[in-house]
Amino acid sequence: MDRTAERLLGSAERLSRDPETEIDWDAPVGDGYGMSPEWSTLYGTPYWDELTEAQQRELTRHEAASVATTGIWFELILQQLILRDVYDKPARSAEFQWALTEIADECRHSIMFARATERMVEPAYRPPLLARELGRAFKAIASGESAYAAILVAEEVLDVMQRDWMRDRRVEPLVRTVNHIHVVEESRHMVFAREETRERLAGAGRGRRWVSALVIAIAADMIVSSMVGRQVYANVGLDADRAVREARHNEHHRSLLRTSCANLMDFLGSVGLLTPAAARVYRRTGLL
Amino acid sequence: MTFVITGECCSDASCVAVCPMNSIHPSPGEPGFGTGASLFIDPRTCIDCGACADICPVDAAQPAEEAAPEDVERNAAYFAEREALEATDLDSWEPPTYELRGGGPRRVLVVGAGPAGMYATRELLLRTTAEITLVDRSEQLGGLVRFGVAPDHPNTKQIIGSFERIVRHPRVRWRPGTEASALPDGYDAVVHAVGARRSRRLGIPGEEAACTAEDFVAWCNGRPGAELPVELVGPRAVVVGNGNVALDLARLLLSDQLAAVSPAVRRTLAAGGIKQVVLLGRRGPDEAAYTRPALEELLAVAGDRVELRYHARPTAWTSEGLTLDTGETIAAGNLFTAIGFEGQRVDGLPFDAERGIVPNVRGAVVDRPGHYVAGWIKRGARGGIGVNKACAQETVATLVSASRGAASPGS
Ligand SMILES: Cc1cc2nc3c(=O)[nH]c(=O)nc-3n(C[C@H](O)[C@H](O)[C@H](O)COP(=O)(O)OP(=O)(O)OC[C@H]3O[C@@H](n4cnc5c(N)ncnc54)[C@H](O)[C@@H]3O)c2cc1C
Ligand code: SF4
Ligand code: SF4
Repeated sequence: MDRTAERLLGSAERLSRDPETEIDWDAPVGDGYGMSPEWSTLYGTPYWDELTEAQQRELTRHEAASVATTGIWFELILQQLILRDVYDKPARSAEFQWALTEIADECRHSIMFARATERMVEPAYRPPLLARELGRAFKAIASGESAYAAILVAEEVLDVMQRDWMRDRRVEPLVRTVNHIHVVEESRHMVFAREETRERLAGAGRGRRWVSALVIAIAADMIVSSMVGRQVYANVGLDADRAVREARHNEHHRSLLRTSCANLMDFLGSVGLLTPAAARVYRRTGLL
Repeated sequence: MTFVITGECCSDASCVAVCPMNSIHPSPGEPGFGTGASLFIDPRTCIDCGACADICPVDAAQPAEEAAPEDVERNAAYFAEREALEATDLDSWEPPTYELRGGGPRRVLVVGAGPAGMYATRELLLRTTAEITLVDRSEQLGGLVRFGVAPDHPNTKQIIGSFERIVRHPRVRWRPGTEASALPDGYDAVVHAVGARRSRRLGIPGEEAACTAEDFVAWCNGRPGAELPVELVGPRAVVVGNGNVALDLARLLLSDQLAAVSPAVRRTLAAGGIKQVVLLGRRGPDEAAYTRPALEELLAVAGDRVELRYHARPTAWTSEGLTLDTGETIAAGNLFTAIGFEGQRVDGLPFDAERGIVPNVRGAVVDRPGHYVAGWIKRGARGGIGVNKACAQETVATLVSASRGAASPGS
């Protein structure tokens, strides 16, 4: 583990990004898409076709802001999980120092997302109450592989979308930059989370694996289903009931999500965390 | 330090999608992708995050300090003439591409569980909600990865692990040991990914007494029922062919350390007493089809026990040895041929005997609606394992759009 941590610390030295100075926060924000339109929860539904291009653009801005808010929420959980995990590790170890570096990254990311959403849309978003309450419990008790694999799930789902959006010329430049900063630093975090998950699972019995796998799957379901809620549709002036209904059955969107989670599912399978019970949850959530 | 990609890369481009710095090339869509044997990492822009190594199914991406100096040099050399891409200039990245997903077929049959069939199955799982029946006449999946790829390349064979996870997906019905013809009809689409297993022939007298690459690698890899069709007679053998498979053969014949093969195979090889190999190429070294890492590996194993001969045309094989068109005879006890593979006719489908493939347009079999091909039977016997990924993706894209009808957003 320390070798991975040392490498990651070295990598952070090679390239860490400071949104504070790297982004001109006073520059005017244009009216580009908030995410690639194909990633909208309504893309491919009849409702999408009824919207004007301006409405579609506005919808994607709100969806992106809502997703970023889910990101902030999870980054808070993650910081606490990591802090608890390294609480009694020796401060001089590379693993400890890397963990704090990661927390510092997440801290900067949360501020960055908060500021970016503030510049993009009005009003502010918040994850649903149930997710917040479950998250509160999760960050207080999760440990070992459940903590790290859940971190991985959240990072990986966000990561793949953001890689698409950052390369998309139609997306608002501010969002593209913010996403790239996130992608670079998250790639290190994901390497760390995978390594920790593998290590914690070494020697875990079947019972523990079964429980961990299910906990992680439920966390994944919580994260994914909290990303875009009915409030988003209401705020852009859509018929929220209809939007929620069509989004829920949007096979195009489910397929994109499934594709973006393919590497993650392969990893979970390779470490034995894709038990039949967990697989059922992932199928319902649309990740498998 | 940075990461580098070693010669065991099978170019499936999994790493390209996870590199946060756009350091890995050629990426799918760029010139050179799918023609060379491996991808490369630009040391000027790599930030050493290790994401590529984490995702690589065959452990080909490695920290530079753990890789061989030749690999480090090869990666750097690939970029020597190219300008470094500035990853923070996001317009220097390829923009993402999207297709409308969803819809598509309900029941699909995939025939062949080699790389092409496995990548096609994976893509169908990701892009559609179809239930997939996957069959292979063999009891085991993997195709040529299991029974072709040389046994002393265990890393390359690791990709079988991810294939095995695909068949455990709840929407896949995996039927090993089954011929496609044994199944009832009733599928919305059939993907034929049966490979191209038949060895090409030299067309010279005496060739029946030679051993083909297919037979040799199948025997070496322990394919059930495979036997070595010839008796090994040392000390010298001739291998005709200038691709990586020919090099695999020469290396396996000369290697002293073959831990990964069965004891019976090892005993037979040792008893055969082959100590020298002459490798014959029809054209010159510049036109040879093998890759540099493969050649370096052979030379490292065999040293001066392998002789490379170019511009040589065999005309006859006898117990004396191999006669060339110059009249010279190379004295040898065994002849091995590794001059490529060709596909065989698939029942009920048209066949292009010239090219050894099923004629198709982007994977859709010509004049046979509902039938598709992927992998070597679609493109001919060229390209490594990973190239079949892009190939299968193209086929599935064709399949999905055909079965959806009009493909406009919202339809
Ligand atoms: C000797 C050798 C060594 C190689 N080494 C490497 C390497 O080191 N690295 C690399 O990247 N690439 C290597 N390759 C190339 C790689 O193996 C091919 O690119 C790849 O296997 C082609 O995939 P495929 O799925 O088209 O065919 P195959 O791998 O041939 O798979 C076809 C499958 O279809 C099944 N099948 C055929 N007919 C039927 C039927 N009628 N019913 C049911 N099932 C059927 C077969 O049993 C088989 O499992 C090597 C190839 C050879 C020949
Ligand atoms: S095998 Fe695939 S993932 Fe590994 S280095 Fe080659 S292209 Fe990248
Ligand atoms: S180490 Fe990171 S930056 Fe370097 S090539 Fe691999 S993924 Fe890209």
